[in-house]
Parts: sequence; C-alpha cells; structure tokens
Amino acid sequence: MKIAILLKQVPVKDAMLELNDSGNWIEEDDVQFEINDSDHYGLAEALNIAKENEGEVTVVTMGPDRVKDSIKQALAKGAHRAIHIDDEEVSSSDPLTCAKIIAAAIKDENFDLILSGLQSDDLGFGQTGVLVAEILGMPHATLVVETEILDGKIKVKRELEGGWFQNVELPLPAMLSIQSGLTDIPYATIKGIMMAKKKPVAEVEADDLGVELDGGAFKLEKIYTPVKSKETTVFEGDADTIVAQLIDKLKNEAKVL
Amino acid sequence: MKNEKTESFLKSLFAGEIKQEIIFPFPQQDAEEQENLQMILQAWQEFARDHVDAVEIDKNAEIPEVVMQGMREIGLFGLPVSDEYDGAGVSKTSYCRVFEEICRYEAGIAVMFGAHASIGTNGIVLFGTEKQKAEYLPKLASGEYIAAFALTEPNAGSDAAGIQTKAVLNEKKTAFILNGSKIWISNGGIASIATVFAKTVVHREGEDKEKITAFIVDLNSPGVSRGKPEHKLGIRGSNTTSLNFDNVLVPVENVLGPMGKGFLVAMETLNTGRLGLAAGCIGGMKELLREATEHAKSREQFNKSLDQFELIKDKIARIASDIYATESIVYLTTGLHDKGGVDVSLESAICKIFGSEAVWNTADEVLQIAGGLGYSAEYPYERYLRDARIHRIFEGTNEILRMFVALSGIQGPGEYLKNVGKALRNPIKGFGLLTGFAAHKVKDSISMDHLKDVCPDLKSEAEQFDKLAARLAAITEKVLMKYGKKIILKQFILQRIANMAINLFGMAAVISRVDTRVKQDKSIEHDLPLAKLFCNMAASRVRREARYINRNHDKQRAQISTMICENNKYPIEMLLEK
Repeated sequence: MKIAILLKQVPVKDAMLELNDSGNWIEEDDVQFEINDSDHYGLAEALNIAKENEGEVTVVTMGPDRVKDSIKQALAKGAHRAIHIDDEEVSSSDPLTCAKIIAAAIKDENFDLILSGLQSDDLGFGQTGVLVAEILGMPHATLVVETEILDGKIKVKRELEGGWFQNVELPLPAMLSIQSGLTDIPYATIKGIMMAKKKPVAEVEADDLGVELDGGAFKLEKIYTPVKSKETTVFEGDADTIVAQLIDKLKNEAKVL
Repeated sequence: MKNEKTESFLKSLFAGEIKQEIIFPFPQQDAEEQENLQMILQAWQEFARDHVDAVEIDKNAEIPEVVMQGMREIGLFGLPVSDEYDGAGVSKTSYCRVFEEICRYEAGIAVMFGAHASIGTNGIVLFGTEKQKAEYLPKLASGEYIAAFALTEPNAGSDAAGIQTKAVLNEKKTAFILNGSKIWISNGGIASIATVFAKTVVHREGEDKEKITAFIVDLNSPGVSRGKPEHKLGIRGSNTTSLNFDNVLVPVENVLGPMGKGFLVAMETLNTGRLGLAAGCIGGMKELLREATEHAKSREQFNKSLDQFELIKDKIARIASDIYATESIVYLTTGLHDKGGVDVSLESAICKIFGSEAVWNTADEVLQIAGGLGYSAEYPYERYLRDARIHRIFEGTNEILRMFVALSGIQGPGEYLKNVGKALRNPIKGFGLLTGFAAHKVKDSISMDHLKDVCPDLKSEAEQFDKLAARLAAITEKVLMKYGKKIILKQFILQRIANMAINLFGMAAVISRVDTRVKQDKSIEHDLPLAKLFCNMAASRVRREARYINRNHDKQRAQISTMICENNKYPIEMLLEK
C-alpha cells in the first residue's frame, strides 16, 4: 500500500516573528522552522496504517531548501522515502496553487492513500489536502479520528461538531485529513536518524511541472500584528440587571456563549 | 586502554608553559555530526515536552516507566556505546550535549541516565574485553539493562582506595566470592548490572598484595540485596540505594580491566564520566536563566519590571557569563577528548568543579530573583535548588577534586589521584610517591609564555591570562620550595592553587572560543560581552587567590577550627559574661 503524507514546514511556535518589507509575509531570515504540528498526527496515522498493511510512507513536502530538514526529520521518524517539491515561493502561494503543484508532482505515483494534517500552523486554511484530492479525482474526508483499511476501501470515523461523529466508507484511493492530538506524535529514534540519510528523496522542481500560475484564487496582500487594546466596562444596577447585561455582552459582543 | 595521553594543557600551565596549540582553535564538530546531534536533541525535546513532568517525578520520587520506555525507544541509552555493539556511537561532545538537554528537563532523569551511561556503561566501554563488550553492551545500549557504578562504601567515600569489600577466588578458580556493602549507589534499585570495586589478593613482585579489582556483577545473582531507596533532598526521581553482597559468586570472566588495577578503572571511568555531569549543569543553568528572565521581565515593582534594576541585571549577567564559561570549558574538554592524544583528567575535574558550583550559584540567585515565590514549593525554583546541590558532592567532591587538580598540576604529567590518596593516608610513606617535583623547573618571569595571535577584541584578557599563568607557575615553584613534600597536607594553599588553575582554564577556553569564531568570520556580538565579563571576573579571582598565598589567615582558620572542635560548640556565651 502506497501512502503519501503531505507535510508542511512552518515557523517554530515560539519564533519571534517580524514582518517583511512589503508587509505581506514574515521576515524568514532569522526564523527557525519545524514540521507543522498537525502534520505530525497525519504522519503518525500514515506510519500506523503502513505498519498494519505492509505499506510504504512517502513524505511530500513543498518549499525551499530549508524544508529538507523537516523531510529528514520525518524520515528519521519512520517514513520510507520523500518527494521534495522545490519551490522558493511556497509561502506566498495560495492553497489552490499549492494543491495544483502537489497534484502534478505526485499524480504518477498512484498513491492508495494521501494523508494530511488538519491545518497548518502558519496560514491555517486546512484546504490543501482536499484540493489535491479534488484535482486528482479522489474521494476525501476531513477531521478523521479512526481508520480501518478494508478490501479496496477505507472506513473512517470523522469528528463532527457538538460531540457527533460520522462513520463513512471511501473507495481507495482516497485522501484524509487527520484530527490532531489523538495519538502520540512519532519521535525520531537514533537508529532512524542514522538511517534517514540513506532513504531516497526525489527532487522535483515546481517550475518544471507545467502548472499554470495564474496568480491563484487567493492573494495575501497585507498581514499585521494584532493591535493590543484594553477596554473595561463597568456594569451598574442590581444583580439581575448586571447579570442580564453581562449575558448580553458575552453573547453578542464577545460571542463566547 | 591503549591511547597514549601525554600532553596536557593544564599540567603544562603549572610549569609556566602555555601549550596554545592544544586548545586553539576551539574544537568544532563536522557538519554531519552536528546535523545528527540536532536531530537527536529534537527527538528528546519532542518526547520530553509530552512525557516528562518534573513536578510529578520529584513528588513521586520515581521516573515513570513511560519515560524509561521512551528513552529506550529513542535509543538514548546507547549513546555511549559504539554502533558495533548496537549503540549510537556518538562522540563525547554529542553525548554531553544530549546529557545537557536531558538535565534541562529533569535532573533525576539525568542522574539515572548519567549513572547508567557516563559511569555504569563507560567502564565496560573503556576496559571491557571483546567478550564482555559483546555480552553486555548491546543490552546496555537498548536499555534492557540499566547499569550502576558501585565504588562508595560506608567507610570509603572520598577515600575511595580505602574500600573494604572483598573478592576471594574460589577453590576451583572459576569465580570470585564477593562480600561487602556499597552505599549511595545511583540506580541501585533498578540496575541489572553494576561495576563493583573490591579488594583482591594479587601476586606482585614475589609477594601477595591486597589490590583493588573491578568486576561486572549481575545484580540479580543470589546473595545480592538492595537497600530501600534513599529519601533525598533533590534529584528525587533517581533511585539511590545501598547494595549488599553476601557470598556472591562472580565468574572470573567478569573481572573488568586487569587484576589489581581497579583503582585505575574507577578513576579513568570517572575522569570522562565527570564531563557528562558538568554538561548537565549547563542544561540546568540554561533552564534556570530562562525561568529567571521570564520572571524578571513580567514582575513589576516601583512601576518597573525587575529586569530594569541594576541589581537584577547583575545577577542575570553573571549567570549568563557563567553559562558561557561552563560551555566553553566543557566543550573544549570534550573536543580534546574526542580528538584523542591529550590528557584531560585535570580539565574534566575542573569542568565538574566549575559547573557544579556555577549551577548551584545560579539556582541560588534565580531563587533570589523570584523572591518569596522562589521559596514556595508551588514554583519550580526550590526544586531546582534542591536538584542542583548534589553536583558538588558526587563523582568526587569538589574538595577532593581541588586537591587532585592542585597536586596533579604540581606533580606534572603521568601521576594520578591514587598516589595522592595514598600519600594522604600515609603522609610519611607517601612522600616517596610524589617523585619528580623536586626537579620541577618553571620558566622565570622574563621568559614568560604568551598566548599568540589572539583577536584584538580580547587582547587585554589574553594579556591578563599570560601574566596570571606566569604567576601560577611562579607560585607553584615557590610553594614547592617552601614546603617540599609537606605540600600534600597544605590544603589551604592547594585550594588556592586549584582555584587559580580553574579560573585560568576558564579564561583560556573562553578566549579560544571567541578567537576561533573571529577567525571563522562568525559574529561575536553575543559572545564578546559574556567573554569579557567572565575573563575579568576570573582574573580578579586568580589575583585574589595569588595574594592570599602569602598573606592569609590560615593560622587563625586552623586555630579556630581546633578550638571549636575541642569545645564541641561555639565557645563564647556573649550576653552572660560579667
């Protein structure tokens, strides 16, 4: 069974971020990067499925040279091989463009299963995997919490809102995005680290894939640091009035109720 | 053990010779090793963030099985073992860097790991036969076996050569019968095997002599009993017990190293084991500094955050420069060890002394920055303080190690602590052991040696180093002339000489580190203020110690101590006197 895990590299969680000169992305020079947290859970699920079904896990990562570190990490954690789609512009690409490039890069691989994490820690669209599936004409399911491989199909349990779950079967090949936090993330082992160097990493140039870059469906024009503001409201009146006012604010302004 | 270790930066320094070529340039790891190390560190960090709960470990005085299992799976127990025996086969430098990171998360885990890897396994790595290595190292590397190092006894702590545990060959000459007891054994309750040191009868020069021999002992053998875990001040996650041996049969194949050479096995194992401990102190300090900085930036008094006050700046700066210095001496020493051919026994001892005192001072000052919160068990500061305290005691107390540094330095190359120990136990007989120092020649101040071609940024620090190194050599010669062989017992003086050597080594390591960066066109923006602060504080400590060699109150110290001990208490009742 051939399994792909779409794995993204994002800035580390406690990175001190600064905006770039054009104000449409962060200054990447002094930032450290790591594997996107959600994708760890996708990788964990991919490794589990592979273990139980004699599968092979391929890491698919798009981005500049720096993403090779994350690819090595994933290989040290147990993935079998990798495809690096070399693309200097990945950070500003929109999910559709990303998906077109990834789909073009992996279509000939004929993966039985493509997994991704839930969403990325930097842009958080949660769309790329699904879009890849659409482009490749594969069924897809998001927020998957359980999987079971059956003959030519996969049974999955999806987490819906309000404590509801959905059980659904998809014919293979299929694409799933995996819910975070349900298993331990896989750790690299020292043996895995030593072996990672010997595992094959295929290099694909994004520019050579013939994907038409039409500017994309989406463009990041401006990002900014949230403005800090502090506003204090004092409620007056008797207890009932105060409670009523408080509930109104929580419901309609803070929208937490 | 086959490597010829002849050169030593520090031993030469005592003779007034600055062997700059040994410590310049500062050792570097190659790119591949760095990359592997980075990934090993990350594997541990990801695991530790999820599974290491320092508060729980301290409270329950136990390392949870999930942590042990995770460390096994990652392969950490195999770090000191070569890949030939299923280990990771990493350098001492990488090993120490990982140890540092383990200690940053939890000191009890670090002590368990250090007792297993740094000293428990290290003896077999250094002295094991092929058969012993093949039998034990793969199991130690996988963590199936946990190892311990059993030297200390109720009547033999610092005086390790005075152990009373005995091993007697049985009639068939197939096994030794081991009897005796060991105390304060880290991993005593959880280890499968231990390196145990015992007195044996060895035939030498036509007569039978009692000499120490090292054994690999299966702790699940009949006759081995383990005491209850000690209730400790800190490093509570680590398991410390006594071990009792009652007619335990140890097969002759389990003799570790040559018969009668157990003391050498112990000292060599500890020499390199100490580096791990010192590296652990760096991890502790980094975590403490992070905690202190966070608190100092968020806590406001007099409408300013604490970090705006100079008294707090002073503490933060001194802690950071101590970290810089400890890193410099430890990774200089591990680098020299990895390169081989250099004797780093003194340097390793200094790393242990300096690191353990730096982490203790750091824990104390960080607790002070936190004020009342620091004293509360609701916050981590008091735990850090408790955990930090042990490092000055175990793997050779800092007092013993200071004597080791001073006396080995004075004696010159080739001599080991065993002679000092013997000399201390029997000063009259011991005179003969410290041979060679009468012929000790130091260069006079006119032909003073210099650090050459040091980057201009640290020119004045390098000049101070040159002058103070010459002073160390001059003082060494002077005290030898004044006290002769009696220097062995002049601990007030020896301590000052050791302190001079410790600080000078710190300066040399820091200067080498910065200079090497400059010559590699790397930025020293962060390094320079740390290096300058450390070097100047270290230099003033060296000057102070040198001053006290001649002008001191040692007589009063000795007199006061005698007076107190004779009275068994403080002898003055101030308010009751008429």
